[in-house]
Amino acid sequence: MSTTPSPAGTPAPAALVDPVTERAHALLAARLPGVVVAQELAGRHPWIRVTAAGLRDALRLLRDDPTTQLECCHLISGVDWPARKPGETAELEVVYHLVSYALPYDAAYKARRGPQAKNDPWVAIKVRVPREAPEVPSVMDLFTGADWHERETYDLLGVRFTGRGFVPRILLPEDWPGYPLRKDWETPTDYHGIPIVPPEGL
Amino acid sequence: MATLDGPAEGLDPELQQSIILTKVDWVKDWGRRNALWPMAFGLACCAMEMMATAATKYDLDRFGAGVFRASPRQSDLMIVAGTVTHKMAPRVKRLYDQMPDPKYVIAMGACVVGGGPYVKHGYHVVQGVDLVVPVDVYLPGCPPRPEALIDAIRKLQLRILQRGGATLPARRQATVA
Repeated sequence: MSTTPSPAGTPAPAALVDPVTERAHALLAARLPGVVVAQELAGRHPWIRVTAAGLRDALRLLRDDPTTQLECCHLISGVDWPARKPGETAELEVVYHLVSYALPYDAAYKARRGPQAKNDPWVAIKVRVPREAPEVPSVMDLFTGADWHERETYDLLGVRFTGRGFVPRILLPEDWPGYPLRKDWETPTDYHGIPIVPPEGL
Repeated sequence: MATLDGPAEGLDPELQQSIILTKVDWVKDWGRRNALWPMAFGLACCAMEMMATAATKYDLDRFGAGVFRASPRQSDLMIVAGTVTHKMAPRVKRLYDQMPDPKYVIAMGACVVGGGPYVKHGYHVVQGVDLVVPVDVYLPGCPPRPEALIDAIRKLQLRILQRGGATLPARRQATVA
């Protein structure tokens, strides 16, 4: 995140509610009851968390509804959340960034927020699944560009995207062991006879 | 080694060894030294510097090494220019195997020399291409400037001149069969 201080006289960014995320949240709450699990409508990075079962309905609604028109899936990424306390379930999170190129941004919001405001209406949708069975429905048929993003999220974090057939790795070799961006992944000592010196050995 | 017509009649074999055959080897090395054909093979950002080296401003043709070939079967020199990942390593090895002897390798850039900035936390980068193919000249830099690449090629030419192109000894051997 940017560390640029906000201009003098403007409120702290954390106090500002993102109008696009607020509108998307209201739409989801009204049309798809029970799908929204949690939300953070203010701050530098507002988001809405939905259930895995309702993900496809939520994204399709945000894409097609004339009040949001979030028709571009800008980015899909993943986060590993291991259990930090006993009793906590380890989870994998997938983050979808949707962008609307059709709607203008809220001019008053942008003026208040200053140079940190984003130019295009932009919403982050998150979904969390248990780490033991990380299955998320694929959205490749809703957004064609989701294909490579889902493959990369599978490649590096092991999230399984269902409903799109076999998901091949995209960056790593097909026989690579494990998923490197998981917190508990350990570097192998060699790969196909090529030794890999671990970081502590250097 | 014998001459084309077999041992020459009436000549001292030692004299034959020391004059004629050494001369032929020297001519062969002279030809190899001054007509190195690199392979057009770039892996990452170092390839930009390699292209600049071959282009007009630095003009690698001045040193006889500017004929970049698009096939390993026509190349003498592989300039490994860019990060070698574990996914790419078998391909590098296969291209090296396809080159006809005598063949030379320049490891260009910090990543190729020893893993570079990825060496500590980059699980996906081979920690030096000499683990995959034998290397003649190591050229550090991130990326090395075109002058440095020219210097590496001059050093390789000097090595061919001094030690003989057909019998380059004591290269660091690759650990991968």
